[in-house]
Amino acid sequence: MDELLEPDGTPRAVAAELMALVKSIGVDELAERQRVAEVDILTMGITFTVYSDGANIDRAWPFDIVPRIIAGSEWETIEAGLVQRLTALNAFIDDLYNDQRVIADGVLPREVLDGSDNFRPQCRGFHPPLGIWAHICGSDLVRDDDGRMYVLEDNLRIPSGVSYVLENRAVAKRAFAEVFARQSIRPVDGYTDELNRVLSSLVATPQPTIAVLTPGVFNSAYFEHSFLAQRMGAELVEGQDLIVRDDEVFMHTIDGLERVDVIYRRVDDLYLDPEVFNADSAIGVPGLMRAWRAGNVAIANAPGSGVADDKVVYAWVPELIDYYLGEQPLIDNVPTLRCMYRDERAEVLDNLRDLVVKPANESGGYGIVIGNRATDAELEATRNAIEADPRNWVAQPILSLSTVPTMVDGRLEPRHVDLRPFILTGAQSYVTPGGLTRVALAKGSLVVNSSQGGGSKDTWILDPLPGGHAAPEAS
Amino acid sequence: MALLARVAERIYWGARYVERAEDTARIIRSYGDLLVDLPARIATGWEPLLALTGNHHDDLGGELDIVHYLIADAENPGSIRSTVGRARENLRTTREVVPREGWYTLNSLGQYVDSESERAVARRMRDRFLGRVIDESRRLDGVLESTMTRSDPFRMWRLGRLIERSDMTTRVVGVRAASLLQLQQRGVASGEQYHEVQWMGALRSVSALQMYQRAVRGPIEGPSVVRFLLFHTQFPRSVRACLDEIRMLLGALPEPEQVLARLDTVQQVLASCDLVTDDGVALDAAMDRVQGAIADLGSAVQRRYLSIDASAAQRAVQAMSS
Repeated sequence: MDELLEPDGTPRAVAAELMALVKSIGVDELAERQRVAEVDILTMGITFTVYSDGANIDRAWPFDIVPRIIAGSEWETIEAGLVQRLTALNAFIDDLYNDQRVIADGVLPREVLDGSDNFRPQCRGFHPPLGIWAHICGSDLVRDDDGRMYVLEDNLRIPSGVSYVLENRAVAKRAFAEVFARQSIRPVDGYTDELNRVLSSLVATPQPTIAVLTPGVFNSAYFEHSFLAQRMGAELVEGQDLIVRDDEVFMHTIDGLERVDVIYRRVDDLYLDPEVFNADSAIGVPGLMRAWRAGNVAIANAPGSGVADDKVVYAWVPELIDYYLGEQPLIDNVPTLRCMYRDERAEVLDNLRDLVVKPANESGGYGIVIGNRATDAELEATRNAIEADPRNWVAQPILSLSTVPTMVDGRLEPRHVDLRPFILTGAQSYVTPGGLTRVALAKGSLVVNSSQGGGSKDTWILDPLPGGHAAPEAS
Repeated sequence: MALLARVAERIYWGARYVERAEDTARIIRSYGDLLVDLPARIATGWEPLLALTGNHHDDLGGELDIVHYLIADAENPGSIRSTVGRARENLRTTREVVPREGWYTLNSLGQYVDSESERAVARRMRDRFLGRVIDESRRLDGVLESTMTRSDPFRMWRLGRLIERSDMTTRVVGVRAASLLQLQQRGVASGEQYHEVQWMGALRSVSALQMYQRAVRGPIEGPSVVRFLLFHTQFPRSVRACLDEIRMLLGALPEPEQVLARLDTVQQVLASCDLVTDDGVALDAAMDRVQGAIADLGSAVQRRYLSIDASAAQRAVQAMSS
């Protein structure tokens, strides 16, 4: 199904205003606005970094001018569902690192935990401030042919993309100024302020010193690290800028050492602290984990949070919501077969062509095999990999993924999209209104990752105008 | 709010690279203007441009080779292309501190220079290109001047600009002015050498012609040009004015004593030049000494503020005394 168009090609209610504009200006003018938007992106220096041919190259961020639009009424449910999900996941992580009631009570099999790449025994017995581990989460949503939204995965380690939500909006507002003026589209600019609030809430110090820890300028998400630090008025630091003394973290300034209270780290767990994890990490900070465990610095997301974005753990999230909250999930999981179970594995191996097979601990779309697009050799390799390490694999039906009209060679064509909202959890929760809509630019493709040729769109959460037109309803 | 030493370093060097690009562009432009004005029999060719811009290269032939080397050569770290590219990289990596519009300005200049610098070697395109480099550099200063809080990052930016600028002005004095003075001392008549035109060229290469004329009110005269460029207290590109502002900036930065001591030396060396403003050979040598002292000042800034080891050492000292 298409997000903006009915099956007969007429605009859905949410897209009426936009499509009326597109009709009145014509597709050539739309293509011209697309070109202007691309120039804006170059001038603003909105980039992402790809590693290719042995070099890191900054590429202009790929943006499609046609937005994805969701009715406010539908978004309320999604928003509540995401908050519910993160509340349960945080309770789950805190439980895993402490009492492990969820295992004792037989809800989660111990072997799932034992096989987890992202469980960090170094974090056992610790309760971070407010009991929250994953302060920032990016969950990927897809809409299937049945018109329902599903959570495809949760990214609780160092999810990226939120800077592009804000930048896409800045570009879209210029491109469609008249549509924004006539409609009530929820603003997204508040994110960095909310993030600042969540990070500040993790320590008692008023106006704490917050630092965004980046692996450095060659990291694929460096643009975002810099963007977030800038928008929060925080320091952007690299490992070499920090030093731990007496279990406190300091940064090297021109005026000597200054204490750091909160670290929003965009460095993977294993590189955070060479004393505890990867000993030859050059981008980490020796002693950081000691400072964290001593309660002298807050780290977001807390080390070890990734245990909950294992794609096998994912299959248990509905049970976890029930177990910790006593609630039914407001947004469904995609039905997931767990290869660790003999019967489910047999079903997967018998139906490889019709399934998407995913390794448990990869991100960025790597390692995923889409059955109906894979070669026989790839399927055979996948079969062997599953049999060699069943715990590490899950499989899901091939969803069709909804489409949004997209500019392709000066014309509008349907292209598949997903949606990554960002959920902040602190003393209060916050969900970005909309999120990052990623679009697979190749015809028929379902791969939306920007590192693999995907593009992006602005996402509009549309509310009815007060006293104005009839409310556009969810499709 | 504290300034990370690493960030300070990037801002400081970003400012130096931008200033270098702007000054190089202005020197190439005014030099080209001058050569066009002079009759072929006295035109000295393009080689002096290399010395003027602080570059050394023996294997470059004619105008296009030299101009290419100074504008477009990615292998030459002092070319406009390289310096703008490095300045852009420095601002790209300090976006959390520098106002966004400042980054936009330098980013679009960087894109322009990347795509146009090869074409700008030809005379037909050159002036337009150099003009844009100069304008954008000033625009960047304008953006920062009007949007940036007067705190340490801004001071680091000014410091980088001024150290580079004072160095470039001494080069114009040391190369152009000194050689003109030598001609005059040898008694070569102005009618043969167009002295006034050449002095005007020297002044233009630091955007000083109009302000000089208003300050001096009379025909252009060599030693007074030299004094104007070295000692004028209010002209923003004179060496003296640059050093005065550097002193003010250092006064507002934490614990500047070691750097101030180097600045004292620069000012003493500069003051001693007062005796040689009409002696070309001595002036050339004196400018070398000023440049040396400015380089020492730059090293002192680097040691005191821009290196992490130094600030860690500082902390150790603080910890002992507290």
